Amino acid sequence: MTYVLITSAALGGILLFLLAAASANTPLFAEHYPLLLALNAAISTALLALVVYQLVVLARQRRAKVFGSLLTFRLLVMFAIIAVLPGALVYTVSVQFLAKSIESWFDVRVDKALEGGVSLGRAALEAMLSDLVRKADSMALDLSGVKGPQQTKALGRLREQAGVDDALLLTPGGSVLSSASREAATLVPSMPPAKALRQARSTRSYTAIEPQGDHGMLLRVIVPVDSLSLSEETRLLQITNSVPQSLADQSESVQSVYHAYKELSLSRHGLRNIYILTLTLTLLLALFSAIALAFLLSRKLSQPLAVLAEGTQAVARGDFSRRAKVTSRDELGVLTQSFNSMTEQLDEARSTAEANHRQLEIAKGYLENLLANLSAGVLVFDSAHVLRMINHAAGNILQENLEMLLGTRPGSWTKLSEVAETLCEQFSKQLAGVWQRQIELGDRVIVLRGSALPATTGGGDVVVFDDITQLIAAQRATAWSEVARRLAHEIKNPLTPIQLSAERLQAKLASRLTGEDALALHRSTQTIVAQVNAMKNMVDDFREYARTPSPALEPLNINDLLGEVLALYEQSDLVVRAQFETGLPAVLGDRNQLRQVVHNLLQNSLDALAGIPAPHIEVSTSFVAGPAGGQVRLMISDNGTGFPEAIIQRVFEPYVTTKNKGTGLGLAIVKKIVDEHHGNITIANRPDHGGERGATVSISLPLP
Amino acid sequence: MLRRSLLLLTFVAIVVISGDLIATVIKANNVSVEQSENALVVEGDFRFELSPRLEEALNHGVPLYFTVEFELLRPRWYWFDEKVASETRTLRLAYHTLSRQYRVSRGALYQNFPTLEEALRTLGTVRGWIVVEGDRLSPEEGYVAMLRLRLDTAQLPKPFQVSALTSSEWVLASDWVRVPFRSKASGSAIP
Repeated sequence: MTYVLITSAALGGILLFLLAAASANTPLFAEHYPLLLALNAAISTALLALVVYQLVVLARQRRAKVFGSLLTFRLLVMFAIIAVLPGALVYTVSVQFLAKSIESWFDVRVDKALEGGVSLGRAALEAMLSDLVRKADSMALDLSGVKGPQQTKALGRLREQAGVDDALLLTPGGSVLSSASREAATLVPSMPPAKALRQARSTRSYTAIEPQGDHGMLLRVIVPVDSLSLSEETRLLQITNSVPQSLADQSESVQSVYHAYKELSLSRHGLRNIYILTLTLTLLLALFSAIALAFLLSRKLSQPLAVLAEGTQAVARGDFSRRAKVTSRDELGVLTQSFNSMTEQLDEARSTAEANHRQLEIAKGYLENLLANLSAGVLVFDSAHVLRMINHAAGNILQENLEMLLGTRPGSWTKLSEVAETLCEQFSKQLAGVWQRQIELGDRVIVLRGSALPATTGGGDVVVFDDITQLIAAQRATAWSEVARRLAHEIKNPLTPIQLSAERLQAKLASRLTGEDALALHRSTQTIVAQVNAMKNMVDDFREYARTPSPALEPLNINDLLGEVLALYEQSDLVVRAQFETGLPAVLGDRNQLRQVVHNLLQNSLDALAGIPAPHIEVSTSFVAGPAGGQVRLMISDNGTGFPEAIIQRVFEPYVTTKNKGTGLGLAIVKKIVDEHHGNITIANRPDHGGERGATVSISLPLP
Repeated sequence: MLRRSLLLLTFVAIVVISGDLIATVIKANNVSVEQSENALVVEGDFRFELSPRLEEALNHGVPLYFTVEFELLRPRWYWFDEKVASETRTLRLAYHTLSRQYRVSRGALYQNFPTLEEALRTLGTVRGWIVVEGDRLSPEEGYVAMLRLRLDTAQLPKPFQVSALTSSEWVLASDWVRVPFRSKASGSAIP
């Protein structure tokens, strides 16, 4: 674009110079004048096309709303006005001046004077001509009587008298009869043209002023010479006289000036057109160059703004990496620099915010992780008591899928009605502090602790709950051992004196009594002693349960231990089937306590088998693979009466028994020992098939 | 809008220029080409009148230059016609105000006429113009001779040239008169 402009302007300038040179009268360019005009016009058109092209481009940019195009347009308009107004002014004044000054060259007086000069010359010539005609007439009159050979002589005399240059006597056909000349050298005088002869014959006179070559003029007069007799044909007399050289030259010079003046006068329109054309071309070239230049300049001025706009848009898109190039050292450059530093600060601020956000995310993730791995269940409600958050343990403890309840209020829950009721009740109280409730879900006890969240964080409630069934069981066991210990102590103390007193009564009174009295005494004391002993045993058992010492754990083979115990139960009417898995790993256990466990369990089975036809007991061991290295499982099952459904949940509690005799502590002790071995015990009734019932006790012991 | 007006402007300009170029007021009659023994002779009559503007200029002493142009072409079916020869003859027409005579001159020769009609008739009459020497023509071959007369505006004073660029009153030219002919057999063949 720039180069096109520069080339066009330079070319235009050269052509204009040539055109101006050609307008002045330089012969070198004169013949190429139309070509020069056309070239200049072509350059102007090219520049106009350039301007139009630029305008079209600008208009397209305006329509596409390219940033900076409006500014470019305004600057362009301003530049254009600055260029056009003075140009147009100078042009108008010049054209006016030109027209006026060219017109002023031509003056009516000059015109008249020149015309008068020419007329004067012509009048002088006419006068000379008419003088010549008069001379010719008198000569013709004189010659009319002269015939034959006298003609030449008379003609010479008459020519001499009249003082003309040449005289010629001709036949009507144009043949020379005789001639006379002032200078003898010119033997052949200038012959008249045929037209002249014809005219002389028909009009009786021919007069002409004939220009001779480049200068000099000849006056020619032809008149007929009338004959006296009718028989003779009319002769023609021609006399010629050259115009005096000084008169000829002067009138010629007047004529040439007159011609030149007339030419100028005629061509003044053309002349004016030349100058106006040159001026117009100059104006157009200058104007279009100026506008095209203005376009480039305004483009250059608005360029940094477009760069800035691009940067701004990039920032708006979130791209802070773009840096506008600082191209100038003016205010725009400063602005660009400020923009760059602003972008930099924005970038830093954003990266800081991102870092903060990331830290928050990490903290949140940590919190969520914490919640998920918390053994207690957590429910979070918002201020409208809608469930917003749960953790994994909550579902496990409540044994429900809580995900479905997210986003609902407890009032609309279809399951977990106890929990929902409790929550609704607590929420309706609008308590600010911490509340705690304990509810039972079937056989499990759950404690709920709720607290309102501070209103600054949006309000709401958080409810933490846990399954405390195990805890309660442990508390109950501890309470029982305490009771047993104290009871045993309190009961056992008076037993010895009672027994001793009964034996003393026996010893003192046996000899004094006889007969039935002695028998009664003996029986009574026996009863007292026996009952005291029984009570002592019972209390011992009880104390045993209460004070079971901590097990002394050592590695032992469970199969060997079972074999020892089972040997004691080889009775004829009882079938004990032992299925031991060989190669079992050793378990950690207290040999005596485990032996007691097996004893108690076998004893229970024996009791349950009383009165059962074909009783049998199955004892089996097996290895169960598990997460912590696996476990060894011991199972004892029988085909006895089984446990009543009513107490099967509570069989491990003390004094829960179905037997008529016994303390009801057997299974409680078993449970306690297994617990202290970190094992697990379950009791279940075997499924009833074919009238055969029974119970299965399964004990899992961990490996060391 | 701008584009449309530009188009219109171009169209108008074309119409005006072409209208100017069409102006032809010279009529050519009796154009003939004679091949004599050793030369090609052209004859013809051009009849025309001067436009009022031209006549005014002439009567105010502006000399007018006329050019008679001759071109000899040999048609070629496979390419542009070959230009065998071209000749021009320049005639000057001027008015002598003092004697009221029109002068037609060619080189040093001149002739005076009392009326413009006579001067123009003489100017437009071409007689015995030997344009090509005979031996430059190949025998027995087809040629086209072309002749025209036109006012040489390039020899006008410059202001008139500018006027001539834009005004049809200053344009005076005949069309090319085409005379096809066949050259005679070579001179030696003629007894």
